[in-house]
Amino acid sequence: MAAGVFGFRPPGRLERATSTRLRILCMLAVALLLSGVVWSRLAYWQVLRHTQLSQQAAAQYRELVELPATRGAIYDRNMVQLVVNTTVYSAFVSPDQVPAAQRDQVATALSTVLGVDRNSVMATLSSTRKFAYILRRFSKAKADRLTAMRLPGVGLEPEQQRSYLPGSSVSASLAANLLGFVSYDGQGQYGLEANYQSVLAGTPGYISSYRDLANNEIVLGTHVHQDPVPGAALVTSLDANIQYQAEQALAAGVKKAKGESGSVLVMDSKTGGIVAWADYPSYNANNFTNTPTALFKDNVLSYVYEPGSVMKVVTLAGAIDAGKIKPSTVINDPGALYIGGYRIADWDGANHGNINYTYVLEHSLNVGAMKAMLAEGHASFYKYLQSFGLTQPSGVDVAGESFIPLPSAKTMAPSQYATSAFGQGIDVNMVQMLAAVNVIANGGKYAPPHVVERIGNKINPVMLLPQRQVISAASAKQMTKMMEGVVQNGSGFTSRVPGFELNQAGKTGTSQIPVKGQYTLNVWASFVGFLPANHPRFTMIVVVRKPHAPGSNLDWTLNDGYITAAPIWQKIAQAIVNDWHIAPSHS
Amino acid sequence: MAGYPSGHQAPPFHSNVPANIPTKNEAHVLISTRILTRRRLGTAGVQHVPARRRRRTRGFVQVATKATVERLHLNAFGHAYLSLGAILICGLFYLAIAAQITASSYEIATLQDQQGTLLAAQDQLRYQEVTQHAPASVQQSAAHSGMVRTTPSRFVNTKAVAINLSAPIGAAPSDSTPLWQRMMAAVVDKVLVAQNVMAAGR
Repeated sequence: MAAGVFGFRPPGRLERATSTRLRILCMLAVALLLSGVVWSRLAYWQVLRHTQLSQQAAAQYRELVELPATRGAIYDRNMVQLVVNTTVYSAFVSPDQVPAAQRDQVATALSTVLGVDRNSVMATLSSTRKFAYILRRFSKAKADRLTAMRLPGVGLEPEQQRSYLPGSSVSASLAANLLGFVSYDGQGQYGLEANYQSVLAGTPGYISSYRDLANNEIVLGTHVHQDPVPGAALVTSLDANIQYQAEQALAAGVKKAKGESGSVLVMDSKTGGIVAWADYPSYNANNFTNTPTALFKDNVLSYVYEPGSVMKVVTLAGAIDAGKIKPSTVINDPGALYIGGYRIADWDGANHGNINYTYVLEHSLNVGAMKAMLAEGHASFYKYLQSFGLTQPSGVDVAGESFIPLPSAKTMAPSQYATSAFGQGIDVNMVQMLAAVNVIANGGKYAPPHVVERIGNKINPVMLLPQRQVISAASAKQMTKMMEGVVQNGSGFTSRVPGFELNQAGKTGTSQIPVKGQYTLNVWASFVGFLPANHPRFTMIVVVRKPHAPGSNLDWTLNDGYITAAPIWQKIAQAIVNDWHIAPSHS
Repeated sequence: MAGYPSGHQAPPFHSNVPANIPTKNEAHVLISTRILTRRRLGTAGVQHVPARRRRRTRGFVQVATKATVERLHLNAFGHAYLSLGAILICGLFYLAIAAQITASSYEIATLQDQQGTLLAAQDQLRYQEVTQHAPASVQQSAAHSGMVRTTPSRFVNTKAVAINLSAPIGAAPSDSTPLWQRMMAAVVDKVLVAQNVMAAGR
């Protein structure tokens, strides 16, 4: 105690005190370190990983359900619905929810109702998979039967499907190549469905809400609802009746000519609206999954061909409009011409002597067409090719247009100019060719080809544009007279529609198909024309590819357009006359 | 104090008014004062009158709570119990409403499923209707009924008739009816016109 009073510290006290403080400090440091670890871990989970963890938590109770938009319908000009949205069902199983004792029963029921292989269903049920489709997209009737059975672990998923009208045969739906189809993921494929995908599809909506274990919505939670915007309906210029009859006539005609394929395109002469768009062979868009992809190709638009003598209409119309020839202008046709080092002959190679241009068109003489082109000049001929729309895509509102650009005017060889005058050495698609010939029917004006006339409540802007004057009305009239002569006196006699013999304009075309730079005996046979000639209601082109008419192995001219294509044209024209009540009138 | 239950006291009386002075109606006093002030202002010019602070109106809950507390004579624990009870009632009420809403939402979900089924059936019917009117189906039905597509129409060739529309019209044709017949006709017309008109009117 005395030592304490006098400030005397016993030896070792200081050291002990220091040691105690040190220990306390150490413990504090350890405690701080440990709490720091805990706090840092907490900060890691609560702050750094907050977003990710909260998202994972929300995923367990929050559900974002997409509300699919109803796809727009497609109508023809008479408001006949060409495509209908229907609900189909897909059956799926959750194998882990099917008791082993009931697998046999479930497999039998599924195979009986859906017609699927029972063994494959059993294999699926015996697997360790959590989810498997049994069959996709079957009818409501089957779905109702399955629902009534109350099978354990079996679910039904409703889906929207596009259903197309039946066509001329079981294997084809109506206007399949024009309309296209919609794949399972809702994307339009080919044709109008692809071209107007954004318009038809609409905008899907969604519901974001909380769900309980039974997947029922908890309405007291946060609930966001956005209604879907349905797709717009399309009103086309098609006529379902004409389309059907065109498909029938085409199928019969191509079969008769033993052709590889064929196509028909009918256009409203005044507006450029497509009335019928048929391909043979075609496919059933309701069963596109089991269709060879080659059939999806639309030969009207995606196939380029050499139009042959149909091109003479363009050549002579241009030359008449340029004032270089008249229908009555007399020329000498020796049967062949030498141009650019090539001898280019008429189809018959005969010397026709002195003839006029009306005779040239009626008898489809190549020399006459070449002489008209030469009289007109290369530059002017090329300009008219441009004006008739043969040097650029047609721009028709259907997906998948094929187009081969013509070489520039300067780079075209004289022989190519010569062959182009009668439709060889120049590639076009059917829409381009029909729109070009329709200039004659439409009083010299180019009517832009189109299929859709109204999108929702809006008129297709193409229809509101002024039509471009390509040749004068007087030139078109002269050309019409010459084309009437083709039907009355020339190769178009097989296309005559009773009652319209004196009021029908047309032109045949037959062009050899080149393979590896060499022309073969296979041909594209075609016929183009309009009716009535004085007040045209429609313009139509028929193309038959690689016909092999009986006897053509001996005489290949039996595959000509007037034998193979013109009769098809006649049948369809007759149907249109009946359906549209077109009465004959004298020119 | 004996008149009050144990643990409770009588409310304190804080009045400064002597007992011998009769109690006046406060509102009456204030209004009278205000009228006097206004009268003074009218004779003695504008004077600054200090704005009186408005007393805050008490809310219903406050009033009701105070009244309840005064009547029940609750202490601090009583307040707590009362608050807890109120919260409990509110909670139960909320749960009841929530359960009702959830049940309704389940019913809505069920009805939506039924609506989906009905819409699917409607789509199916629409497709059947459209298919029945499709050209292929019409032709098939016609063939089943024994109907065939008619042969192409035949048109009667017209005979050209020469009518000269630009020819002059010429003089009106002369009336060769005898004069007496015309006069007779005029008289008959005069007599019968009225009858004809009446007949037409019926």
